[in-house]
Amino acid sequence: MRYAYYPGCSLHSMETSYDLSVKAVCKHLGVELWEIPDWVCCGASSGHSMGHLVGLAIPAKSLVKAEKEGLDVLAPCAACWQRMVWVNHEINKSPEMKDKISRAIEEEINGTSKIFSIIDFLAAFGMDKIAQAVKKPLKGLKVASYYGCYYVKPPKVAHVDDAENPHLMDDMMKALGAEALDWPFKTECCGASMIFQDVDTTVSMSKKVVEMAYKAGADVIVTACPVCEMNLDMRMEQINKKFKTNYKIPVVYFTELMAYAMGSVPQEIGLDSGHCTDTQLLLAKIS
Amino acid sequence: MSSMLNLSAQQREHGDFADRVFEESGEDVRKCYQCGKCSAGCSVHICGGMDVSPNRVMRMVQLGMEDEVMRTRTIWACVLCSTCTARCPRDIDIPRVMDTIRIMAKKRGITEGFNNANVFHDIFMNSIIKYGRVYEAGLFVTLKLKQSGTMFDDLSIGIPAMISAVFRMPKFPPKMKNSDQIRRVVENCKKIEGEN
Repeated sequence: MRYAYYPGCSLHSMETSYDLSVKAVCKHLGVELWEIPDWVCCGASSGHSMGHLVGLAIPAKSLVKAEKEGLDVLAPCAACWQRMVWVNHEINKSPEMKDKISRAIEEEINGTSKIFSIIDFLAAFGMDKIAQAVKKPLKGLKVASYYGCYYVKPPKVAHVDDAENPHLMDDMMKALGAEALDWPFKTECCGASMIFQDVDTTVSMSKKVVEMAYKAGADVIVTACPVCEMNLDMRMEQINKKFKTNYKIPVVYFTELMAYAMGSVPQEIGLDSGHCTDTQLLLAKIS
Repeated sequence: MSSMLNLSAQQREHGDFADRVFEESGEDVRKCYQCGKCSAGCSVHICGGMDVSPNRVMRMVQLGMEDEVMRTRTIWACVLCSTCTARCPRDIDIPRVMDTIRIMAKKRGITEGFNNANVFHDIFMNSIIKYGRVYEAGLFVTLKLKQSGTMFDDLSIGIPAMISAVFRMPKFPPKMKNSDQIRRVVENCKKIEGEN
């Protein structure tokens, strides 16, 4: 199995643990990833606010390279994934838009490459197959699966799972042997790129998510979106200071737990050092 | 916003704004019947990030209150989480409408509703036009210099988080074979849109 891999900017800068763990899981499951050569930023979170065409043409620039190679795309970052899905959506809806995008990127794009989110992609293997690949089951670990927004909404393009009560990530956590917590706020917004504009509002938004996970008794929050991860993980102490709380919940990518359960060591996938929250307690619990 | 608005007159005289928003976005705001579900589920609104609720923005568009709606913080504060769209009984893509009004407002040079957001978008775009990918360290420093009143907002993330973030953040711009790709795309888009 060979797929085009679009890591996106976050995975190549601060969020290397996501990049490493996605690659590790793919290796465990026998998937070959072909990184799109010289890929460019997808434009989130600003391209689409500059103009409708620009918002589509920027992600199309990288997407067309996968299309030419005849490969479907795996885009782990939720924002990158949605920007790319919009390209195909608009191309299929309007031949005029297809023409405009093609002219903007100076190459013909047809929207023939499917774009997979990492949640969808891994869940498609089936829970049995995932469970079979587990070498170190995550017994007794209480996991709050946090989906955020971009993977599940709007339903027009993000038809993954269920917009209000998704469960694929929970299912995968169960397949790894962990306990998937039933908790509200799994699709509530963390504040996304608003963190660069209005920290106060964003921290208030992230706090609601962390608070719910805490009340549900989570040992760890897992996410599949770099922005969610950054907002919850990096801002945990800021939340504590602002709201006089004492939350100490590690926030990691679900692929990190999956790679670990399938045999990767924490150092290989950044599970030990790739986060602001302390993952040592988590590691002690699962090792 | 005047509290003494004659609704019928307002709609009669300025109703074309909703038409223009429809043309630009493909979303028909006139369908909105003000149930308020969008605002009830809006995390940004609930956490105090908006001055006008999303359903009120829809009503302002219907009434043709172009100048007023372009000066709201709300059109910039929407983070496109699309919870509203998922729940809208009239199937309106509200973030798309927000994005569209943002673009229209920017064309008219109106950004005061939430200028820090506008500054972020400009700096972000400049960064990817220049490097092809986001250069976070450069982006962060420029943001702190150009936005008003955000300089010390991030200090309270605490020392361990700061160390972790600084340690992980690449110190140099991303390396690419051809970092000029986005600049070309953006220029082409301007030409294509200029034709219409």
